[in-house]
Amino acid sequence: MSKKRPSEEYHKTFAYHFFRWLSGEKDPYLGNLEMKPQPEYKTDSALQLRHEKEHDAILDKVYDTEHNKVLKLFHRLYHATSILFCLFLMALLLVTISHLPATGAAQKPVNNEVAGRYIEKGLEETGAVNIVAGMILDYRAFDTLGESHVLFVATITVLILLRLDKNKKGELSSLAKDMNPNDRVYEPKNDAILQLVATFLVPIIIIFGIYIILNGHLGPGGGFSGGAVIGAGLILYLNAFGFQKTERFFTEKTYKWICFFSLSFYCLAKSYSFFTGANHLHSIIPKGTPGAILSGGLILPLNIAVGLVVACTMYAFYAMFRKGGF
Amino acid sequence: MIYHTIYITMLILLSFMLLACLIRAVRGPLIADRLVAVNMMGTMVMVIIAVLALMLKEGYLVDICLIYAMISFLAVVVLSKVYIGIYEEKHHQKESHINDTIKEEMSDGNP
Amino acid sequence: METLEWLKIIVGSAFLLCGVVIFFTEIFGVFHFKYVLNRMHAAAMGDTLGITSCLIGLMIFSGFNYTTLKILLIIIFLWFASPVSSHVLSRLEVATNENLSEHCEIYEDLTILEQELACSETAESRKEEQS
Repeated sequence: MSKKRPSEEYHKTFAYHFFRWLSGEKDPYLGNLEMKPQPEYKTDSALQLRHEKEHDAILDKVYDTEHNKVLKLFHRLYHATSILFCLFLMALLLVTISHLPATGAAQKPVNNEVAGRYIEKGLEETGAVNIVAGMILDYRAFDTLGESHVLFVATITVLILLRLDKNKKGELSSLAKDMNPNDRVYEPKNDAILQLVATFLVPIIIIFGIYIILNGHLGPGGGFSGGAVIGAGLILYLNAFGFQKTERFFTEKTYKWICFFSLSFYCLAKSYSFFTGANHLHSIIPKGTPGAILSGGLILPLNIAVGLVVACTMYAFYAMFRKGGF
Repeated sequence: MIYHTIYITMLILLSFMLLACLIRAVRGPLIADRLVAVNMMGTMVMVIIAVLALMLKEGYLVDICLIYAMISFLAVVVLSKVYIGIYEEKHHQKESHINDTIKEEMSDGNP
Repeated sequence: METLEWLKIIVGSAFLLCGVVIFFTEIFGVFHFKYVLNRMHAAAMGDTLGITSCLIGLMIFSGFNYTTLKILLIIIFLWFASPVSSHVLSRLEVATNENLSEHCEIYEDLTILEQELACSETAESRKEEQS
């Protein structure tokens, strides 16, 4: 059994200082630089109210179109100029397009041998009946990896901009509390008819979304549209039952782990092209008979991963715009 | 041959009715008018898609029909909830402003 | 089997014609009525019954297929979802309309409504006893 060190000895070690710095308890600049600790920003609500009233009075006077002649003139000029600008832009773009080569001409860079190869040999090389799914998830799977990451980065950006941070005790800061961010106070809640129908319809919608994802390589659909349908089902559940019940099964941790696992799985499956370049790796998963569900090699698992990311993204956007976090 | 004429007649009739719904959506003075018109447009588009699915003999277009039904239902539910919330909030703000001004007047009257 | 083919065409076209007539009635109603709640009556009728007739006609045209099953699923989904959207829309209208007393009668106290209904029931029973 190892001996537990007394706390005075432990306070002198490197590990203690490192973990304190990592968790943010100890500010290394406090007391070292010539800086005093900053007090928390407290607002004066009477002062803020007076400022708002003055602001509103000024705006009312400035935007009073009946007495402000300069504003009227500006409005008319603005409308005329905007119409002229739009017409000019349309004319410019049309003239540009008329100078491009006609569709199907031989010298266009699009008409090379790649499209013919994809159509002729798409079925036997990828195993997918839906050539488009075979193309985006087998021939060009690396681009689809970038697309899923774009969705993830978009959600993270919106989260950074819209989230209301809470301090360690779980309270909002005083500035956020003054602003009163809960604008869902007056909405109708717990509509009995909607709840009854939602208990029946949400499973149907989610099953339909799963059906679209699983049949991505046999017909139109795939990960993106199926994920959108699943997201719509989750939004319907949220509208019928409220945030408390939805947070029982979909919290921030759920979102984090689902996105992490889906994107890492996609990465591990398809990022070998960083190292091999254009030389394909021979895939171990068999292609199966075209037309069956378990066919197409790696296309089905990749569809599922993409679908999960898209569903989480749709729900996350809605929850963040309504509540400021999820 | 007969099937083809029947389908095309249906498509023409439904597209004219779709245009009429659009007129209602633009003209209607209240929000609920416009939501009703958009819902109706969604329903007619569903019938158009189903007719096209049988005309082109492609079975998977009917899936798109089902997605359209879901999305229009969801849109109506979410939009009406948000509008009721906004309206009630403005109403309460106006009432609190009126109450504040009444209180100020009453307090100014008594020096 | 030509008669079966003709029967299919005639029955399917009858349903489709019914559906188109119902849609036309719906649009006429939406333009004719003055207030939103009346227009919603017309719209809700068209959304459920009109589309059901059209889709049953299309089901008869397509025969025994997986497509037919999918169209049946659409009909079932619409019968659950469309009345709920009408309910939610009427709630929106009642909550946000400021001149609601011009559009329909508002009962502040539901006991007045019950009394009116009870009076009309007794009047009808008296008329039946007399005739």
